[in-house]
Amino acid sequence: MHYGMAIDVTRCIGCHTCAVACKVANNLPNGIWWNRVLNDGGPVMDTASGVYPKNHLEYYPTSCQHCENPACVKVCPVGATYKDPETGIVRQDYDKCIGCRMCMAACPYTGVRSFNWEEPKFSVDFAVGDVDTPAHQKHVVEKCTFCYQRTSQGGTPACMELCPGRARFWGDLDDPGSEVSRLVREREYKQLLPERDTKPSVYYLV
Amino acid sequence: MSENTSAAKAAKAPAARYGGKGLNIAIGVCALLAVCGVALWIVQLTGGMVQTGMRNLDSWGAYITMFMFLVGLSAGGLIISSVPKAFGMKGFGGISKVAVWTSICCTVLAIGFVVVDMGQPFRVWELFIYSNLGSPLMWDIIVLGTYLILSIVYLWAQVRAEAGKVSHTALRVIAVVALVCAVLVHSVTAWIFGLQQSHELWHTALLGPWFVSSALVCGTALVLVVVIALRRVGYLAVDQANVEKLAKMLGAFVCVDLYFFGCDLLTSAFPNGSGAEVVAMLVAGPLAPFFWGEIVLCVACAVVCFVPSLRKNGLIVAASVAAIVGILFKRIQLLVGGFQIPNLDYASALTPMAATNWDAGMAGVYQGLVYAPTMLELGIVLGVVALGGLLLCLGLKYLPLKPAGEEE
Repeated sequence: MHYGMAIDVTRCIGCHTCAVACKVANNLPNGIWWNRVLNDGGPVMDTASGVYPKNHLEYYPTSCQHCENPACVKVCPVGATYKDPETGIVRQDYDKCIGCRMCMAACPYTGVRSFNWEEPKFSVDFAVGDVDTPAHQKHVVEKCTFCYQRTSQGGTPACMELCPGRARFWGDLDDPGSEVSRLVREREYKQLLPERDTKPSVYYLV
Repeated sequence: MSENTSAAKAAKAPAARYGGKGLNIAIGVCALLAVCGVALWIVQLTGGMVQTGMRNLDSWGAYITMFMFLVGLSAGGLIISSVPKAFGMKGFGGISKVAVWTSICCTVLAIGFVVVDMGQPFRVWELFIYSNLGSPLMWDIIVLGTYLILSIVYLWAQVRAEAGKVSHTALRVIAVVALVCAVLVHSVTAWIFGLQQSHELWHTALLGPWFVSSALVCGTALVLVVVIALRRVGYLAVDQANVEKLAKMLGAFVCVDLYFFGCDLLTSAFPNGSGAEVVAMLVAGPLAPFFWGEIVLCVACAVVCFVPSLRKNGLIVAASVAAIVGILFKRIQLLVGGFQIPNLDYASALTPMAATNWDAGMAGVYQGLVYAPTMLELGIVLGVVALGGLLLCLGLKYLPLKPAGEEE
């Protein structure tokens, strides 16, 4: 099994619902976002590329790419970040992480890993989201888990479920019959930073 | 020469204790600063690392810069001391043990900086239980630990050899092993950065040899400063010829280091691709003061070392300090520069946890340096450095580091 995701950028409307869905489902602390929506026009939100009137606006929702050849897993000195052998999901063990941030330096996908620089604070004083989301800890690294608490129970990631444009597809890339495999086979796609040789499991259908 | 003979006589005195009021004051000041550093570290651990300048997009800062820098400083001393022994050459006078002691102090400091950088220092035991032997960080921990133990053994063996309890052959074997380990420590520290394909500035095969050359520069410079200072206060006697020999070596090392830098810049910039962006960031971006500072300081150091009429003690010390500061600038460029250019433009969800200058908006994050240390970080850095100073002074006071008789 090798879970992967395909994101149809022609259907993405840049609404950031996936980012919020992720934040709620995983009860993310204040200031932490595992999923962000990038655009092709540069660093400022909702910026189009090109020169007026020939502009182009395309969104790239970005989170951990769950690489087949993950740079982070290789460098973690204690194996706190590891590739789940059953699902291919790159996971992070909060109880093991020593907070050296080697994985953050090794990951080429700028900003997908986050560190709890302080005792996690929340905007509401009760936990939200899935019941079995692991508790967030101070001074450890965390990131997108493909909603492991859901997907290991046969569910789908929160970002995909709530996407209003239905732009996200998730499933087993090893199964040729899965929707995600079919889309990757039939559609033209892009991947982020393919030249870094990390073999990401997230495909952007263009 | 009279200075030499009197110092040599003093060395024959049986008591190892040394030092007067000055050394005691230095020990007191260092101890006080070290205690302040520990207090600040506790503040950092309890209040959170949010009090540092580091954030998700620049996740390493002053501590790791200092770690790189001190690993460099440490190897130099050991190499200067062990090369003559390992190859059976005439040494640099009685500086061998002092050089190894400075090296030990720097290694302890380097380990200290890794510890203060860790988010969960109480989980450090996991390194030995869940060791991922594929991680360059794990290699570094192993090599650094071995190196520290070896340096201590080497120092001990030298003391025992002087007492006739360890044979010269055994000492020579230890010197060879220590030398290999010193080169390894450097290469492995370089690999923590150089093996990461994530940051273009770091990902170069040259990084290993370049770290070794930088280590030789700042290590030799540190030994020169310490030796000239100790000779001045009559702790040990060193021939001016040996000081000049060391100074010439320093000049050569500085040139090699600058040559490596030039090679790396040219290789990055020539294809005029993304590497050119990295070079532009270094030479004309916000890190430019560090870049040009390094070049000017290193060239000045080389000039002093190579022009015979300039090789006076005051100027040699100034040149050595210039070389050490130059290498520190290089470390800053390498570490901060690595995070300076993002691989993905970071749109949206810019939060206080993601970027250092987030409150100034996107423009603030992109203009100038992505990272600057906070007062707390600088305080902890000072505290850790003071701990090293304390060790150095205690060693001078209580350990038999003075040269005894003729060196091999």
